[in-house]
Amino acid sequence: MYMLKFKAIKVAVIVAVITATFSAFGANPPKRIFVTNEKDNSVSVIDGKTNIVIATIAIGNRPRGIGIAPDLSEVYVAISEDNVIAVFDPNTYEVLRKFESGQDPEAFAVHPNGNIYISNEDDAKTTVLNPENGSKIAEIKVGLEPEGVAVSADGTRVIVTSESTNMLHVIAVPEHKIINNILVGARPRAATFNRAGTIAYATSEISGEVKKVDLSSGTITGRMPLADDRAKPKDVLLNVDESKLFVAGGRANCIFVLDADTLEVQQSIPVGKRVWGLALSRDGSRLYTTDGASHQVSVIDTALSDVIATVPVGKFPWGLVLYE
Amino acid sequence: MVDALKKLRLGARCGFVLVLILASSKLSGQEINVLYIGNTDVPVYFGARQGLLEANAQGEFMGVVYRLTAITEVGSASVIPVAIIAAVDAARLEQVIEVYPHVPILNTILKDTKLRENCDDALFHIPPSTAMLEDAERQWRQHAPKSKARAYTWHRTFRKYAAAQLNIRFMKQVGFAMDNDAWAGWAAMKLLADTIVRRPDLQGFGLVEELKTNLAFDGQKGIDMSFRETGQLRQPLLLIEQDKIVGEAPVRGVVNGADLDSLGLVFCAK
Repeated sequence: MYMLKFKAIKVAVIVAVITATFSAFGANPPKRIFVTNEKDNSVSVIDGKTNIVIATIAIGNRPRGIGIAPDLSEVYVAISEDNVIAVFDPNTYEVLRKFESGQDPEAFAVHPNGNIYISNEDDAKTTVLNPENGSKIAEIKVGLEPEGVAVSADGTRVIVTSESTNMLHVIAVPEHKIINNILVGARPRAATFNRAGTIAYATSEISGEVKKVDLSSGTITGRMPLADDRAKPKDVLLNVDESKLFVAGGRANCIFVLDADTLEVQQSIPVGKRVWGLALSRDGSRLYTTDGASHQVSVIDTALSDVIATVPVGKFPWGLVLYE
Repeated sequence: MVDALKKLRLGARCGFVLVLILASSKLSGQEINVLYIGNTDVPVYFGARQGLLEANAQGEFMGVVYRLTAITEVGSASVIPVAIIAAVDAARLEQVIEVYPHVPILNTILKDTKLRENCDDALFHIPPSTAMLEDAERQWRQHAPKSKARAYTWHRTFRKYAAAQLNIRFMKQVGFAMDNDAWAGWAAMKLLADTIVRRPDLQGFGLVEELKTNLAFDGQKGIDMSFRETGQLRQPLLLIEQDKIVGEAPVRGVVNGADLDSLGLVFCAK
């Protein structure tokens, strides 16, 4: 009896070791992960190999949105209460400069050409900024309470979600003209493109759903309410082969994994409380989540669909970017 | 099919002629007429105007223009409205229902529980009923027995969800703070527009049905709101003590925090 048990444990250990080794062998984690801590006025720096916080950068009051330059030379942080974007060096962590962003900056995206597209929540505008000197390149009038910003891979389209107007605005670049307005569920928070730029996915916080949009016709081709009625979904990302969609479930405290084609919920991966932010490693092997009310980042092995590490960071982590 | 039959029946009851006039008014352009009946020097009207601004901010992207015509006397309107925002006493509300039997009417100031008990087909109630306010205060006292907090619809210091943004927008526009009545006026216009923009083909009882079954509106209070069969807007309430927000109802721990039906009358008497 004891022998049997022992053997079973031994087999289990071997299987676990093999799985971990295989997974670690295939994976190429980012060098560093930068996390904004909304209520600690700081950015935590996580070592991608060890999943340990190796530095904390004092950045300004209420940091939220974070993005990285296409050449990885600089990291940008929206400092909401200071109304600026702070720029720091991802290698030395030195704060290089700050420039004005408009009132209460929150979410933004970095275009492949280096410009920043930022939502100005109180002014119903999206502003295009040159991060070299903070100069304003364009202003685009959008709906009320603009929030999520996504840029297509080829840079010709930007989507801005307006939370109180319940819309996705599709903006053509470089013209900076809105070419389509698509009504979605109540309080859209975030959107993402497929690589070809033909499809967008968007989350709506209040209606608790994910919508799939055909961008050539501007029509909604799929809708999936998330089963958990506590779900207030926020960030949304496609996996590397674009077969799956990862959705941060907010108060549902999990990551929903959806079939990117049918939007069927395949799985939910439990993480910490109030999960909002998502980032996927370039090779797709690691998904990082900011679990706001648990003050931690969860590291998910996407092959195992399981959390392999939780990293305590500052208070209320909001957004994150990967340096790889 | 059942829906179509219901509409036919209702149409017969209300007179087909008016229904046809309404249909043609809607087809003549993307102009949506909403009627406001009540005084125009009160917060509820300023709230409705704010709602109109926000409706048109959305309409601009969808090729829809909303017009809000204000009148003080029932029956003096020169437009045929798609919906009515009413800020009148109970007697005048009865007149409005008589003159516009098939148009959705949104009561924005009356709190009488009795009005909800009447379960009028096309009558909606934006402010919480007295029963809802009392239930909220009762729940709160179970949580904090010594508290003298009173239940409110809205407060100028409310920041959570996107309440702060609405408070900022309203203050910037009119120069005074949003209160219970101003919120009700704003909510009436905003939820109408949020519904109409998705289904501009609907009017009369079609619009009534849509409001009752497909509302997509959070009122900047962080929860998906809907209408009860009594016409009452389901909504969370704020507990205010010494001009400060001390809690929210449904009161978590006393009841399920998401159970909006723990406040007030839920069903019509059969």
